Amino acid sequence: MSEYLPLLIGLLFISGILVSVLYPLLKQRLGWLLSLVPLGIFVLLFSTLGDLDIKATKIFPTNFSLLENISFPFRIDGLSLIFGLLISGIGFLVVLYASWYMKKYSRQAHFFTYLMLFMAAMTGLVFSDNLMALFIFWELTSVTSFLLIGFDHHLEKSRQAALQSLLITGFGGLCLLFAAILIGNITGTYEISKIIEQGISLTEHPQYTLVFILVLIAVLTKSAQFPFHFWLPGAMQAPTPVSAYLHSATMVNAGIYLLLRIQPLLGGTPIWKYSLILSGVITMFLGAYFSMGQKDLKRILAFTTISALGTMVLLIGIGTPLSIEASLVFFIVHGLYKGGLFMVAGIIDKSTGTRDITVLSKLWKPLPLTTIFAVLALISMAGLPPMLGFVGKELIYVAKIQLPGLSWIILPLGVGANIMMVAVSLTVFVEIFYNKSKKPAIPAKYTEKQLPWYFILGPGVLALAGLFLGLFPGGLNKMIANALFVTKNQIKDVHLLLWHGFNEVLVLSIFAILLGVLIFVLRKPVTRFIKKTIEWFDIYHLPTIFMTVMNLYLRIAGKNTQRIQHGYHRFYLMTFFVVTLIILSFQINWNFRELVPINGFSDIRFNIVILLIISTMALLFAVFSMSRLSAILAMGVVGYGIGLLFLLYGAVDLAITQFLAETVIMVLFVMVIYYLPKFANLSTKRSRIRDIIISLVVGAGVTIVVLHSRALNNYEPISSFFAENSYLQAHGRNIVNVILVDFRALDTLGEITVLTLAAVGVFSLFRFTVKKQSK
Amino acid sequence: MNNRSLRNIILEKIVGLFMRVMVIFSIYLLLRGHNNPGGGFIGGIIASTGFIFYAIIFGTDSLQKVIKIKPQSFIGIGLLLVLVAALLPTLFSTEMLTGLWIKADVPVLGTLHAGTPLIFDTGVYAVVIGVILTIVISIMEVLKWN
Repeated sequence: MSEYLPLLIGLLFISGILVSVLYPLLKQRLGWLLSLVPLGIFVLLFSTLGDLDIKATKIFPTNFSLLENISFPFRIDGLSLIFGLLISGIGFLVVLYASWYMKKYSRQAHFFTYLMLFMAAMTGLVFSDNLMALFIFWELTSVTSFLLIGFDHHLEKSRQAALQSLLITGFGGLCLLFAAILIGNITGTYEISKIIEQGISLTEHPQYTLVFILVLIAVLTKSAQFPFHFWLPGAMQAPTPVSAYLHSATMVNAGIYLLLRIQPLLGGTPIWKYSLILSGVITMFLGAYFSMGQKDLKRILAFTTISALGTMVLLIGIGTPLSIEASLVFFIVHGLYKGGLFMVAGIIDKSTGTRDITVLSKLWKPLPLTTIFAVLALISMAGLPPMLGFVGKELIYVAKIQLPGLSWIILPLGVGANIMMVAVSLTVFVEIFYNKSKKPAIPAKYTEKQLPWYFILGPGVLALAGLFLGLFPGGLNKMIANALFVTKNQIKDVHLLLWHGFNEVLVLSIFAILLGVLIFVLRKPVTRFIKKTIEWFDIYHLPTIFMTVMNLYLRIAGKNTQRIQHGYHRFYLMTFFVVTLIILSFQINWNFRELVPINGFSDIRFNIVILLIISTMALLFAVFSMSRLSAILAMGVVGYGIGLLFLLYGAVDLAITQFLAETVIMVLFVMVIYYLPKFANLSTKRSRIRDIIISLVVGAGVTIVVLHSRALNNYEPISSFFAENSYLQAHGRNIVNVILVDFRALDTLGEITVLTLAAVGVFSLFRFTVKKQSK
Repeated sequence: MNNRSLRNIILEKIVGLFMRVMVIFSIYLLLRGHNNPGGGFIGGIIASTGFIFYAIIFGTDSLQKVIKIKPQSFIGIGLLLVLVAALLPTLFSTEMLTGLWIKADVPVLGTLHAGTPLIFDTGVYAVVIGVILTIVISIMEVLKWN
């Protein structure tokens, strides 16, 4: 059954495109239909889970290929299964959730288009077996998330946040492209499975450091690691369903996925280890620390996500089988609780109209079920039993303790981050849901009974899944072992347990919990202190610095553009002709022995001479005429003369085009001419002389080159190939047309794109002036 | 012209006919383009010449009523056709823009070859019409030629 996976991924893309067609028919019920696609993927993946052998990797080649090396094979193995299950499962819940959350938005259809495309790109990313395909999907997630983050595009803040995330993740994407090309050059193929089969050691290649740094930048930017972490809190400008999806299973986790996927190729070296550990540790601690000082519930959650991502990067950096195991478990843990908590934040926002934890209180009464789910998720976030979060956190401690040499620095910071998490979870619970606070209760616009069941389904399913897996963690054993085999290439029995017995890890946990409770009790002074450090940090406020640098760059670019694009048509032409002349003169100097070839002329034909005389006379008339209309008519005569010349030498296509273009231009000129100012001789005598010299010399240069072109054959002319193959291979007798639409179709594609751009430019230019006039 | 004081019935009749002839001729050129002089570019220019003359005599609004589709949409349709022609081969395990051909035996005309290049050429045809009409109509609207 799993062979239908590529089909379903394609269906995701198509459903995204079809939204605009389906929305007018289905309106609010559209979400139901769309949610079936991720549900289908989830069911399919779940069914393969049972029969996937530990070493098995299923690869499904598709017929779809962009270029020779860039095809789209998909692969199912342990690693992509874990990610795929979370992406499709949470995706299903998010789509249902969004169908109610977004119901008052006027641009709902746009939203679902972006969301489905984003989901498709993310699913494609984790299943693709080709580095180039992976890169394409990677960039697609950046672009679609840009559209989602900036969805409320009437707000300045949203636009800025979206732009920031696009610039940062797009930059990382470019680095990934370079890395992929380098890896492809070294190994000779882009297919991940083949690269691994070949067993070429990339780590000993001289270009390894470069490749690694490129991949590292890609991961740090995508997964919001220090010092690129600042785009993620900004990204919460997106509608809440998007935040829930972005943080829990997709987007930022793409970096984690890439690290795990590429670990067999690049992992294990000292530079890999230390750079990941360093950035992971800093991010882990900073994220947890900053989350305590925030007021907005979504912002708090965003910072805890940063911390969690730091933890995963750190664990992958450590690189022992145990730590990889811990990172995989923690990915599942984090996806489950973070998705649920963001959805809860959305429910609170919808029902009370605010997300400020200093204002909210006593939500236990209007939202009882939501409170239960939120508490379960918060327990998981704090790493307490009996949730899966506890299992994950214990594993992380074990992995950190076992690290030789570095555990003295990593362990305290890890425990510190955990303390903060406990404190944050407690604070959120008490401030928002608990009964006995002194704040006045906010009247709820919706109580739980007025909310549809599928709006609360998401956090419920995720919280209960966390609880169930916490009680029976053995259900994950096989999946984790499969993924471990993919990343570490060794078979290891995985036994996840909720209760390890009383050992040093448990002591650490209890210590962290106690300190967390202490911080919670002292939360007022602590928050004040953290806010102060944040203010101090704001001197180096990274988003502001980033925007300043961007604006400076734009200003300099603008100035340079003004210098080059001055807007005087005559100087553009002059620049163009002079540059052409310089290049030509070098060519003439080097390649031609004599200036004008003496032999090789064909016979002079009488009709052509007459044509030339008429054209020349018309040209002279155009230059010296004192009336604009007659000058243009004379230019028209020249144009028709050239057209006739084409015709006499047998280029029918060209001749027709020339005649028509000439006619259209003349007609347009005559129409416009009425509105132009009176004809006047504005140029000075000196500039006229300069223009005459330039035009004569350019004319002479072009003539010389044309005269030589018959005898000049630096390379074998390609025209014979076209002539031979035009009919046999391309089924056409008109070579010109066959070249246009078949042999050189890519050129034509470029040309019509340029034409389109020109039309768009003219259109917007004139529309703008028309509107201004009518005002 | 804004005021129709200078109406010329003969001219109007001729231009209406002229436009139709030009469009039919352009389609003919487009279809024969692969084997004889013609093709999307020329076809597009010829068709738009017909449209432009019509617009000069009757104004842009009447032209819009006759062709129904907005000139900008022509560009979109054309680019879409080109895209389809470019990506269709990738579904058949070849590189993009490779020509795909099917043979068809038509009773009167004999064996015909039809393929993606024709779709491509039609796309070019539509884009050229769209571009020229967009530019010309924009200019004419500034001149209040409607």
